[in-house]
Amino acid sequence: MVTMNSNEKAAPKACQQGSSRDVTKSSKEEKENEKKERKERENLIANLPPSVQALMATIPSPEESPNYLAYKKMEAIIEKMQDENTGVPVRTVKSFMSKIPSVFTGSELVAWLGRHLNLEDSWEALHLSHLLAAHGYLFPIDDHCLTVKNDNTYYRFQTPYFWPSNQWEPENTDYAVYLCKRTMQNKARLELADYEAESLARLQKMFSRKWEFIFMQAEAQSKVDKKRDKLERKVLDSQERAFWDLHRPMPGCVNTTELDPKKLSRINALKQKRLQQCQELIMQHNLKNNPIVTITNAQESEEEIQKNSEIVKENGECSRTELATLEDDKPSIESQIEAAKRQVAVLKARLERRNVRVSKVAEMFISYCEQYGEYDAFLTPPEWPNPWISDTTELWDQEKQCKEPLPLRRVRRWSFSLRELLRDPPGREHFAKFLSKEFSGENLKFWLAVQDLKALPICRVASCAKDIWKEFLDSNAPSPVNIDAASRELTRVRVESGKPDRYCFDQAQAHVYHLMKSDSYSRYLRSEMYKDILNGSKKKTSVKGIRSIVSFTGRKETSSN
Amino acid sequence: MPKDDAETTALKKELNDLIAKCKADQEKVADAKLAEKCGDMGDVQRIRLVVKKSLKGHINKVNSVHYSGDSRHCVTGSLDGKLIIWDTWSGNKVQVIPLRSAWVMSVAFAPSGNFVACGGMDNMCTVYDVNNRDATGAAKMVRELAGYEGFLSSCRFLDDTHIMTGSGDMKICVWDLEAGKREVDFNAHAGDVVSISLAPDMKTFVTGSVDRTCKLWDVRAEKEKQTFFGHEADVNSVCYHPGGQAFATASEDKTARLFDIRSDQQLGHYTPPGNAGFTSCGLSFSGRYLLAGSDDNSIHSWDTLKVAHTGTLNAHENRVTSISIAPNGIALASCSWDQSVRVWG
Repeated sequence: MVTMNSNEKAAPKACQQGSSRDVTKSSKEEKENEKKERKERENLIANLPPSVQALMATIPSPEESPNYLAYKKMEAIIEKMQDENTGVPVRTVKSFMSKIPSVFTGSELVAWLGRHLNLEDSWEALHLSHLLAAHGYLFPIDDHCLTVKNDNTYYRFQTPYFWPSNQWEPENTDYAVYLCKRTMQNKARLELADYEAESLARLQKMFSRKWEFIFMQAEAQSKVDKKRDKLERKVLDSQERAFWDLHRPMPGCVNTTELDPKKLSRINALKQKRLQQCQELIMQHNLKNNPIVTITNAQESEEEIQKNSEIVKENGECSRTELATLEDDKPSIESQIEAAKRQVAVLKARLERRNVRVSKVAEMFISYCEQYGEYDAFLTPPEWPNPWISDTTELWDQEKQCKEPLPLRRVRRWSFSLRELLRDPPGREHFAKFLSKEFSGENLKFWLAVQDLKALPICRVASCAKDIWKEFLDSNAPSPVNIDAASRELTRVRVESGKPDRYCFDQAQAHVYHLMKSDSYSRYLRSEMYKDILNGSKKKTSVKGIRSIVSFTGRKETSSN
Repeated sequence: MPKDDAETTALKKELNDLIAKCKADQEKVADAKLAEKCGDMGDVQRIRLVVKKSLKGHINKVNSVHYSGDSRHCVTGSLDGKLIIWDTWSGNKVQVIPLRSAWVMSVAFAPSGNFVACGGMDNMCTVYDVNNRDATGAAKMVRELAGYEGFLSSCRFLDDTHIMTGSGDMKICVWDLEAGKREVDFNAHAGDVVSISLAPDMKTFVTGSVDRTCKLWDVRAEKEKQTFFGHEADVNSVCYHPGGQAFATASEDKTARLFDIRSDQQLGHYTPPGNAGFTSCGLSFSGRYLLAGSDDNSIHSWDTLKVAHTGTLNAHENRVTSISIAPNGIALASCSWDQSVRVWG
């Protein structure tokens, strides 16, 4: 089994740098440079004031990127798979005239996953292996599409250097170098795919100015490649190809390295803000600790003396800027105080709210669910057959139709609340008919008119409001609506103020709604009209109707007997 | 950092006291747990939804889906720069609308079915008329509402002339579409407003934001009526209960919660068996099922009253970005980064 040793790690790194240094040396130098950089950074950080250090700790680090945790978990599984004794068997396969190094078959992988993770369903292991491939931890050696099939096709592990948890984000220039290098290799099987050729053409246009540079890098990399052992080269080539398949997927495949752009923009904005704050703090800190030194050497030239006075001026200005920063502090304290006062007010208002007890609320939920349970398509099958199973659109057509006979369920729903009745167009019409019989139709008309007013565009609000006032609320209105004097006065003031807005009738509307609910609605539910329509829908839509006629005739016979 | 002076410390103390009092008040009202009270209710069966239609047509991730008021058509927006209006029954594309900017984050369908709106990283909300075509044959663009300082994260039609939007600059705007002007514009949250849900009676609405709170607003006012705390990370989506007295939320902290408006607190806390954040949520017609689309490619469902997990819907191959339940409760549409939209019934 081929193990991932440091040589393989270092070689691609050297390639990326585009210079043909000795492989082992480069790795050592790399490590030393990294150590130096880290030490430097640590020293820098230690020299910063503690407040800045604390702030820097809040800058989102790469480890907090949303995908990172998922990557860590996948890597744990991959490491188990790569174990020499208990992992997936990786071997070199002999085929036609060549050997295929370090591969395993798809079915072996799926079987191993099923065994070691105790997966019950067979499709789960396949799905999991597909996800591991889609995230770039293993890849098919022949295909650009990162997926796993449960058969004898060959797959290979990706080297840890290329793992997505290293936060790669490769640039287009790197991709251009890679595609260019591919064209320099003479093997037929390494030819570019269609989409890769298109990308290469596009990148050539994009980087036309520095194309020579890219070409040179590609040449250098392919030279290094040629020097390497054939088998090793096959493995590295395939791993690099898989890396690019992950970051520049072929059309039809999803790019799993992408982050939700909303989160990304927010994380970036946060980083920028924190960095800015750190910089400001550092500046302030420096100003405090390093006052500008004035030169007091008497042998200085005239220029220097002038410079001195300038420096003194600067010092004065500096102190002014320091004052300015102090003053900036004051408004921020004030703004803090204001914000705190606002919060206090909100919380006090919240305390004064009368809240309903949870037990009551729970009871209300239970009754709502039970009442509407039969209308919930997820709980009880609706009256009309499921449109996708029966292949008809009856469900939607029936809902739209408003002629009698209406289904019983629909009519019954009108008795749940006034809102339900008014929501359904045939319900509204029926209610309107009932009200006109009782000579109280103007309430409903007023309510509907105000609803329409709320939906109007701004330009028509004023004239419509005046019309409503004239029609319903004025002293000699044709359809007078009965509301209390206080609301009427309030509404009059708002309408005649010259700029009536769409909510000026709200109080009157609420009053009318309450009237309708308590008075007309309850009478409607007990009325003959409603009972008729309820029974009418029963008879005409069910077989029970016929039976009731039969029993009626039966009763007739018995009575005659 | 400015030092605390006497006034600030006194205010801070007062704030903390008030917060403690509010919490104590909440606990007084919380004299029962939702799950216990509903203990003697009949168990609801495991969710039996199956994919009835798979709508294929997008060639890039689909970010958002919304049902029309007729419960049959829905609109989806995808990163390929297209809005597609589908007939969910036949699976046909009724219209394909090419967009000027490909970064669509949110779409909305007017309840009347006459307009669709979309917006995203272009910091604009664009409204199209479904019934009128322009010279090129695509739906006519009625309005381009610009002026946002952040991306458009959610939009909802109040009616054919008013649209409400929430954006990354932490504001809520209500626009009059005929005049193309803002009617209302106010700072809503301390972070991006991520989601808006309108009450069934259209008088109030709820917003969810990345500042981990949800707020209840009256359509007419610019000050929130109530604020709900409880989530530990961004709230990704809110959805009103059909009864209008509660709402469900789904969040990045891997839980979905049910908040009640009358008792001003969190009633239900729903966790999935796995470990992934939620991107969107919806409630069934009677409010019995709570469904939430998640980052682990599946849609989880719970019994809202008994606070029990009732199943998962697996069919998508990448994270589920948005779900929408038909207004008459007959079906659920879900869209995902795997470029497909699925209708479950």
